Amino acid sequence: MFELRSRASRIVIQLVLLALTIPFLLPLVEMVRGAFAGRGFNNFVVVWETGVIPTFFKNSAILSLSVIAIVYALSMTAAFGFAKLRIFGKEVYFWMMLAALTLPEVILLSPLFVTATKLHLYNTLLAVILPLAALQLPFAILLTRNYFDGIPSELMDASRIDGANLVQVFWHVILPLTKPIASAVVVLTLINSWNSYLLPLVFLQDRSRQVVTLLPQFFVGEFTNDQTKILAAAVMAAIPTVLAYVLAQKNFERGLSAGALK
Amino acid sequence: MATTTTSTAPARPRTATVRRTQGSRRLNGLPWILPAFVFVVGLIYYSVGYTGYISTLDWDGLSPKAKAVGLGNFVDMFHDPIFWAALRHTAVFYVVTFVVQTALGFILAAIMHSRVRLPTLHKVIIFVPTVLAPATMAPVFRLFFADDGMLNEILRGVGLGSLAHPWLADSTTALPALMLITIWQWTGLTFILYYAAMSQIEPELLEAARLDRAGNLRTLWYIVWPGCRGTTVSLAMLGFIGALKTFDIPYLVTTGGPYHSTEFLGTYIYRIGIRQAHIGYAAAISIVLLVLAIAGAVVMSRANRKEVRD
Repeated sequence: MFELRSRASRIVIQLVLLALTIPFLLPLVEMVRGAFAGRGFNNFVVVWETGVIPTFFKNSAILSLSVIAIVYALSMTAAFGFAKLRIFGKEVYFWMMLAALTLPEVILLSPLFVTATKLHLYNTLLAVILPLAALQLPFAILLTRNYFDGIPSELMDASRIDGANLVQVFWHVILPLTKPIASAVVVLTLINSWNSYLLPLVFLQDRSRQVVTLLPQFFVGEFTNDQTKILAAAVMAAIPTVLAYVLAQKNFERGLSAGALK
Repeated sequence: MATTTTSTAPARPRTATVRRTQGSRRLNGLPWILPAFVFVVGLIYYSVGYTGYISTLDWDGLSPKAKAVGLGNFVDMFHDPIFWAALRHTAVFYVVTFVVQTALGFILAAIMHSRVRLPTLHKVIIFVPTVLAPATMAPVFRLFFADDGMLNEILRGVGLGSLAHPWLADSTTALPALMLITIWQWTGLTFILYYAAMSQIEPELLEAARLDRAGNLRTLWYIVWPGCRGTTVSLAMLGFIGALKTFDIPYLVTTGGPYHSTEFLGTYIYRIGIRQAHIGYAAAISIVLLVLAIAGAVVMSRANRKEVRD
């Protein structure tokens, strides 16, 4: 956007960029520095030897994959219905779901708490998976429906004439065309469920069922005031996320922007 | 955000082809949407309805005895200074974080659209905070703003040692510290969105401005900024809902303190409902939060629709 004729102006803009970028790095530097403070790498060894890290990661993986599976399956089928099929009172159904879009999850706490206790779901991953998926779905459906709307109906009409039934059309014609939006939905759902904190905090009391976002707190309990161990645990929790982002940079950026805009 | 496209959807012209092919589409699509519909509406509407019912009770959530108090909880709320403080904090938090993130994100996007070195490296550094869990970063920020943390270290290093103090323990600086954390986390997203929006601005417009000898800043203000208005409106809505949802950072970094100076509706609802088992009162505050979220979304999607029509 800036047209930079002189060399001096080019240097100035580069310095401005540097000055604006460095503050974003500082907390990460503090994190790594704090994690290595005191006994250095030994902090990581001690944290690892508690043996809980793999459990927390495994639970986070189960949680995220389940939410993604539910959101993917239900948003794809629903988007197909909303975009391409006849449904009496379609927009009413659509808006009823969209109304849930702005819902802060804290509103669900009391009823979910009471209901989960009654159904003996308290302290199970399912008590977190179901509400998380329900909260992600309206948005995923909005995204996918908009995308499905852009797929020409002639494509499916042609294969219908060839005698394919609806399920076949959906599976062989529509789904292969939806990869870009599907990857956006998957990334968005992955970040939101992997990073979710409030619902796991309330519903997962048992240590063997807790997830990555509860790690720092677990270590606060374990090592009371030993900040270095807590930060070492935070670094271990952050590394997979950062790696995933760096490896699939474009997908993450596209997924999150789609999540913010469409 | 959400409403952007849907609000414009009905305006999409229904072409003749679509109408003609409708004969072959006279198929009932209900089974396709029913699973998602039942799941979302069942779980969420049930919960909201239940919250509405609980909000009229004086109840701890477990005991079989719940006392009906009608609108009593709402009357209590009206006289509850902490509730009003939480609302105030949310408003201030929203305005400040939105303005700063917009300014930073916009400027960064403009710079990155100019010829600079190592663009990807800068982009990754700015965007990484967005994908990190607030819960993971919370202990880092507790240290960062502590007496012997990095912020004070830097202040002392540049000769501003007199400003150094434990930021989170001081009720006047705790909320600004939380705003900084939020800005750190979300500017990356603002930046990416403006970056994308700027790619859509027609090069001819910029060219014309250049020919008129408009300077860089004038071009930015009169051509680029209005060109990104749609993005700004979306971000305003996203930020508003985000501010209402705020929970992780204040809960984990300051637990709403000191002296409720960083209390938000989310942390207050959690404290009252789950910690103090005062579930009826928590539900009443939840209802207010819900009304605010929906009202905000409606107001802003109206603004957005007007935007599209202009």
